[in-house]
Amino acid sequence: MRRINSVYGRVEILKRVLEKPTKQSHAFSASRSFSTEGAYGGGGESQQNSSRVKIFDRDLKRVHRDRAAWLSRNKNDTFVDAVAENLLDRLEDCKKSFPSALCLGGSLGAVQRLLRGRGGIEKLIMMDTSHDMIKSCRDAQDDNSIETSYLVGDEEFLPIKESSVDLIISSLGLHWTNDLPGSMIQCKLALKPDGLFLAAILGGETLKELRIACTLAHMEREGGISPRLSPLAQVRDAGNLLTRAGFSLPGVDVDEYVVKYKSALDLIEHLRAMGETNALLQRNKAKFSIFLSRIFSILNRETALATAAIYDSMFATEDGTIPATFQVIYMTGWKEHSSHPQAKRRGSATVSFTDIHKQFGGQS
Amino acid sequence: MVRISRVMLKEAGNAIDKTLSEILVCPLSKQPLRFCEKTKSLVSDTIGVSFPIKDGIPCLVPKDGKILDEDADASKAS
Repeated sequence: MRRINSVYGRVEILKRVLEKPTKQSHAFSASRSFSTEGAYGGGGESQQNSSRVKIFDRDLKRVHRDRAAWLSRNKNDTFVDAVAENLLDRLEDCKKSFPSALCLGGSLGAVQRLLRGRGGIEKLIMMDTSHDMIKSCRDAQDDNSIETSYLVGDEEFLPIKESSVDLIISSLGLHWTNDLPGSMIQCKLALKPDGLFLAAILGGETLKELRIACTLAHMEREGGISPRLSPLAQVRDAGNLLTRAGFSLPGVDVDEYVVKYKSALDLIEHLRAMGETNALLQRNKAKFSIFLSRIFSILNRETALATAAIYDSMFATEDGTIPATFQVIYMTGWKEHSSHPQAKRRGSATVSFTDIHKQFGGQS
Repeated sequence: MVRISRVMLKEAGNAIDKTLSEILVCPLSKQPLRFCEKTKSLVSDTIGVSFPIKDGIPCLVPKDGKILDEDADASKAS
């Protein structure tokens, strides 16, 4: 199941054509025609600095996560657990131990539950934008071996002192930040030298089936499309992001999970429980309210039904379930430290490659 | 239930635990925060904003912050 994607990922012509409208949403960002509703505290939107491109509505995301806190309590989500487990597994590959760790948004509960003493963590700080999510984490805590502190904060404005933690874990959270490079730079600053940054984000292949079905249904029923699913980072971006944030020894790998649902409704329910519903600033409010989450209730019913029908006919498997792909990009990076191997200056070599070749036998 | 209430009591007494007070800074200016006993909030003096502590959990999302009046005392601002 696991595969390492090369920089030149697979090119799917169909997907590229269909994704075009989603990509274009970046270009439209400057327009003010779709602004946030007041209902979600959009009043503050105008106060914020508008020079930066805003793609996601962070306030709405907070509301989503509040809801997710209620929907996901007392339930273990196998997909989220698999991702958290995979991420934490990496801690076992490190010889170093991490006395203080910071866990950022996303699937906090799963990380806390599955940590099980890995990585030698003594102090754990849990941070999320949603107060309810943090509270439900605190109530769920049953392991007292780790000293845990709780904090409500925004990944885009990390309230952590420079060089103060050994490890930052973010499981399925960072893909909702407007300024991903900025958040990662702040993470790097918060790390102590030789600290580890571990993150899992959803990649561009995520929910490709839904993307296709939605786009087709929209074109068919309404003769146009509006951004439905969030633009997500591609694998090649992840490596660039790590390098740009200044992490040394960057590592990126990709996992694809296919989750099977009984119906499209179950898929939407799951997305809600994860807090992964659409928070695009430009979602088409006039007709669709909060798109993805409400696709089957508020929005244009016909389009929604058409989406479900197309999803069924195009992707349903023989046993009647519908698959949904989740692509997870795992990123690993270290804060620079003198112990890390470093490239020598260009031209500083004293031995020729030809000589090395001769020395070790001239195979091939 | 008992455990939770004990935790809450402890939090209410100490305001925020030691780990957090050591590493927290203002999310906007990245300058140190001051704990205000009167309002039970964290104050960033550099930019004059106070961040609330709800149930012993400090809320440091910029949007949760309250801008303090320059002349008024911090206690009045809440």
